[in-house]
Amino acid sequence: MKRTGILFFPAFDWSLGDSHPEREERLLYTQEQLFEEGILDLPQIKQFSPRVATMKDVLRTQGLFPNPGAHTKSLDPHLISAGSSLLLGEAQVKGDIHNGFVMARPPGHHSGATVWGNRGFCSLNNEAILVNYLRAHFGKKRIAIVDTDVHHGDGTQDIFYHDPNVLFISLHQDGRTLFPGSGFVNEKGGPNAWDQTLNIPLPPGTGDDGYHYIVENWVLPRLQAFAPEIIINSAGQDNHFTDPLASMNLTARGYGRITELLQPDLAVLEGGYSIEGALPYVNLAILLALAGEDYHHVREPQKLKRNTLTLAALKPYIQDLQKQQQTVKQSFTIQNKPYFPKGNWIFIPHSVYYDTEGFQETRHDYVRECSNCAGTVYIESRRYTEKSILVRIPFEACPICEQAGYDLWDHLQKPNEGFAIGILQNQLHDKQYLWNRKEGLMEF
Amino acid sequence: MFNRVGIDVGGTYTDAVYFRNGGIQCTAKVPTQSDNLVETLMNAFDTLKISDEQEINQITVSTTLVTNAILQNRIPPVKLLLFSGNGMKIDALPWPVSYTELSGEMDFRGRETEAPDQKEWEKFHLLRDNISHAAIVGKFSHRNRLHEEQLAAYLKEHNPSLTLALGHEWGQANFYRRSLTTYLNLGVSDLYRQFAQQLQTAVSARNIQAPIYILKADGGSLPLAKIRPIDSIYSGPAASVLSALTQTSPDASSIIVDIGGTTTDIGLTLSGAPLISSKGAQIGDFSTLVRSLAVRSIPVGGDSVIRTKDQGFIIEEYRLGAAYCLGGDRPTPTDAMRYLKLIDYGDEQLAEEGLASLLPPVKRTPQLLYDLAAEIIDRVVDRIAEAVDSLKREWKEEPAYKVWEVLHPHENKEFNTIVSGGGARGVTTALGKRLKTTVQLGAFSEVSNALGAALARPAFDCTLHLDTYMKQYRVEETGEQGKWTGSLRPHREVEGFLETLVQQQATHYGIEIQDMEKEPFDFFPIVQNYQTVGQIIRGAVHLRPGVIGRVKE
Repeated sequence: MKRTGILFFPAFDWSLGDSHPEREERLLYTQEQLFEEGILDLPQIKQFSPRVATMKDVLRTQGLFPNPGAHTKSLDPHLISAGSSLLLGEAQVKGDIHNGFVMARPPGHHSGATVWGNRGFCSLNNEAILVNYLRAHFGKKRIAIVDTDVHHGDGTQDIFYHDPNVLFISLHQDGRTLFPGSGFVNEKGGPNAWDQTLNIPLPPGTGDDGYHYIVENWVLPRLQAFAPEIIINSAGQDNHFTDPLASMNLTARGYGRITELLQPDLAVLEGGYSIEGALPYVNLAILLALAGEDYHHVREPQKLKRNTLTLAALKPYIQDLQKQQQTVKQSFTIQNKPYFPKGNWIFIPHSVYYDTEGFQETRHDYVRECSNCAGTVYIESRRYTEKSILVRIPFEACPICEQAGYDLWDHLQKPNEGFAIGILQNQLHDKQYLWNRKEGLMEF
Repeated sequence: MFNRVGIDVGGTYTDAVYFRNGGIQCTAKVPTQSDNLVETLMNAFDTLKISDEQEINQITVSTTLVTNAILQNRIPPVKLLLFSGNGMKIDALPWPVSYTELSGEMDFRGRETEAPDQKEWEKFHLLRDNISHAAIVGKFSHRNRLHEEQLAAYLKEHNPSLTLALGHEWGQANFYRRSLTTYLNLGVSDLYRQFAQQLQTAVSARNIQAPIYILKADGGSLPLAKIRPIDSIYSGPAASVLSALTQTSPDASSIIVDIGGTTTDIGLTLSGAPLISSKGAQIGDFSTLVRSLAVRSIPVGGDSVIRTKDQGFIIEEYRLGAAYCLGGDRPTPTDAMRYLKLIDYGDEQLAEEGLASLLPPVKRTPQLLYDLAAEIIDRVVDRIAEAVDSLKREWKEEPAYKVWEVLHPHENKEFNTIVSGGGARGVTTALGKRLKTTVQLGAFSEVSNALGAALARPAFDCTLHLDTYMKQYRVEETGEQGKWTGSLRPHREVEGFLETLVQQQATHYGIEIQDMEKEPFDFFPIVQNYQTVGQIIRGAVHLRPGVIGRVKE
């Protein structure tokens, strides 16, 4: 029997604030619905209980700034959410389950390569932490993430932007109309991973038909061409027509169909804040679709009131978008600092806004151009006057990039350099170090 | 001091124990006459030779009657009418009985999303179809019983003789299990009523005034007239766990192993409280909401047949008569125990013969026979140990829904093991080694179920679910639904409210509350448009199953 794992972790004792969308109540009615349906009595469903991710699991993928210790007080629920993804992902690759659904709070896809705090309700990126865990522990090479949350999965994009072995596809409401304001077709990946990021921004009002059309005609062919070993679906549910934060028109059954089309090995809940009108039904439809059961009887009581874009109106828009996406050409700036190891270092400056606490992170990202591997990454990150650095030696790094990473890391610790703190993310050898000028080196 | 009688009405034997002044006064074992329960029970009382019936404070009975009726498919047909609503397709789950689906739907807060269609009801011809029992169950009826009651009123009006059962009385979530539980409970109600009368007749005939209690699947006892019939299933394994509890210190954590002829039952107690299964009991093809103890029954026992297979042997799941050393014609684990001198009954010579038949003639040396016997014991013990591990996993891997729960997992406990049953002595040493615990032999294994029943404590749970915005409260275990008139964000108020409900329930059962265990309340602020408009509050109180006294051997 094809088994479907479910890890339901509603964090009933945790919220981001009394009336915050990310609050205790969010999965309460989902629990009522799933339990009342008797979903756990389906012979193919196997329930798992959560576990806590370790700091090593996190640092393999994300740099916690200014240092991991600064976050320890607020990370517990996020570590459980990430740990839950690891647990179910591990069960999947070990063959204990055919596929699975991590229905856990809090979400994670806005959390990027560097983390100064919570943004878009996310502190840790559950799917990204899982992807790198599967690569480190199970030797997985090619993984695809399809993000069907209504918001652009900017954090996930940031983490894998230079990684040619992770295909990231995000479908979302156009960034000109919604947080986080990114995710346009010209964001196609870094120099070593060009075209491994695919953004499909959709006009407000897109409904089931339009969405399915895009999945079938754009997403699936792209997935097929990439031929991943594992497909992970960041299954946000805020495309639903009742969602209070967005303006799309998907139904619960529409979500069931998306799941059926994508056939993800693992679905991980992201956003979705229509906690009564959508979540109980969308979660049910996704789970039924994963379990190979009929989801067509799942019907939310509310009727669609907003206007939905017809497929006829959407098709030309999509074709145009596809053309635009294909014609975008690479254009990168090379900027080599005097102490940079040999090679061309592509400079990508940008800033990240943390909406939860209201501050800005300024990032200077550099990646070593390389035709043999993902290239060593060097990030200088600033928040107000605080500054931290991240050096990443990627999975399957070539010897030159690996050496470049060590040289850079050694140089930054020299007494005359102005750095006080940094993280070495050695994915190649699965070692993570925190360095602090006062306290020295610490391995995770 | 208390004086109690415990009776276990089994399919073959009825056992009884009289527990008086802190010790076992007398035990009895009489054959069960299934066509004359009154006489069986009177026989049991007579065998106990109770000198002063007026001294008895309570009689507690465990019975396999309902269990067997269900397993042997001896329940009258019940018409099952379902307000199944939208959602998962109803036939995604296996239904052991037929049902009729009706329109009408509630949502998870108990709001009506579709009204029933009375035209559908007019098509019923229950009397013409010879139907005397009907169960009505709605999806989310535990949130709002309206549709069930509407249909019940309609049916009663047109068929006054109809016996009806409504699903909302089983207040836990799970429409599928609620439907089957309501069905079964109604199906066995006549049988149970008859049993209760016979029991009462026998007790009165022996001039006993003491109240009669029934042992439930969760190891608690409740008065004969107050228990729901289906709750009496699986009281046998529960009684055997309780019996072990009477032989340990009050807060010990124990692995309880009861080795029978062909099956071995394994249970777990944690700091004196039996482990309750997180899902409801499964009986035959029926998944129910009946709270039961987490026990494992494995098909291996002292009389299991051993056969040669390939280069070695296998232990079969069945028996074919007695052990070889007791005059049977197949080797069994009992023969291995006898050969190794772990038990003192059975013929030593025959045991050796039986074991030898599993080896080719050239290999029948004392050393190889010894190795074979030891391996048989190890195999049995391995099977038991696997079941113990699975029970411990069930305990440790309970799903956690709160951050606090994940960060505070169950602490490891120091377990001891209690083994009872025919082959107990034979596996003591091997089991201790394998489980790495001390092992104690259980006493009174001949009448252990009756002993467990005699000393069972009353137990019940009361789980409150309050929605202050909808102004509704309900109690999971009783299915009670009522209006909430208190504040939108109650604090102390809700604690007092729950205590009142518990007190009412205790009064209803006629029992005194002791050692009430409160779970912390869960508060869910209900937010609409960034305003808190009310709260959903969950809280529970448990009177845990256990025993009221301990036995000295």
